[in-house]
Amino acid sequence: MDIIVCLFLFAGLFFFTGGAVGILRFPDFYCRLHPAGKLDTLGLLLALIGLALFNLHHFSLGTLLTSAKIILIVVFVFLASPTATHAIVDAGVRAGLAPWTKGEKRR
Amino acid sequence: MKIIGLIIAVLTGALLIYGTVDFPGWADPASPASTHLSPHFIEKTMEETSVPNIVTAVLADYRSYDTMFETTVIFSGGVVCFILLRIFRRKEPEDRLYRHVLTGATIRVKEGGKIPPDSDDFERIDTLWTPHDLIIKTVCRLLIPFIQLFGLYVIAHGHHSPGGGFQGGVILGASIMLLAISQDLRTAVQRMREKVDALLSPTGVFIYAGTGALCLLLGLNFMDYSALASVLYVDPVTARSHGILIVEIGVGVAVMATIIWIYNNLSSAGKYDEGL
Repeated sequence: MDIIVCLFLFAGLFFFTGGAVGILRFPDFYCRLHPAGKLDTLGLLLALIGLALFNLHHFSLGTLLTSAKIILIVVFVFLASPTATHAIVDAGVRAGLAPWTKGEKRR
Repeated sequence: MKIIGLIIAVLTGALLIYGTVDFPGWADPASPASTHLSPHFIEKTMEETSVPNIVTAVLADYRSYDTMFETTVIFSGGVVCFILLRIFRRKEPEDRLYRHVLTGATIRVKEGGKIPPDSDDFERIDTLWTPHDLIIKTVCRLLIPFIQLFGLYVIAHGHHSPGGGFQGGVILGASIMLLAISQDLRTAVQRMREKVDALLSPTGVFIYAGTGALCLLLGLNFMDYSALASVLYVDPVTARSHGILIVEIGVGVAVMATIIWIYNNLSSAGKYDEGL
């Protein structure tokens, strides 16, 4: 059980790290939103599933309820995070920010 | 006038700083607060108020005067925002933009012009209107009920877990703001009119102060909720627990209405016609 939880947590951390590196290294606004939106969502999903499993160590109705609440957080983040990213991209497009193309300087 | 204000502000600040000299040392274990109050709250809260969350009990029962005036401060903040920012414009702007809902065509109505009255086919839109984004609109419509449910849960569950009126009220207010951001201010104001905000904001304060005054009428001290036992038909300890809940509801209502009121005034610069 502990091994599975650890695997989940480390997988989550791996995606979080990827997201952080991506935000720092990608060349422009839209590219940077890509890791920020996708990898953070997946990282959070994996980490919280790990926590929900860890919480079920002593199986009872109470811990099951807590785990269900953690999974609910996952559901809402899964809905809200991509939408937020979409809204930011939308605002960028409406404000007239041109996407970066290959060969340009990073900004 | 500015100089007088500055002098008053500096004087008050200096007096307040001078007042801190009399305070006991930071985290001094021999200070009265650490020797008398904290142990009493930690040991006696459960048997005196039957509220497991000590923070809530201290906030809404032992120090309820403090919280009552905090609520009043929030209400005053809303009123000040209203007085400073609200602009009552008698006449409508010259050109108004309407959108035909079915076809999506936008029409500009010149001054004096009218659209067919009581028609659901046209909706008024902002001058800087952008088409509602389907994804954002749908997700917000999906999330707002859950946010409001969670806000109610936070208010009602303040006895047992972190939460209470202030936090729950902010969450409820944020749900209406989300509606305003995801669609436009006009939609949000239609759901929650300015009059409703302005009415609910003092109502919350009134619920709080009224509960305290009711205790006074029932023969005990102001804000001593055990007096409510005879009204609620429970024993005095449970009555204190229920009293805290009533007060928290008042705080929640006041905070929710005030925060929406402030947002509406700020985002439309007091005109309420256009805005986020």
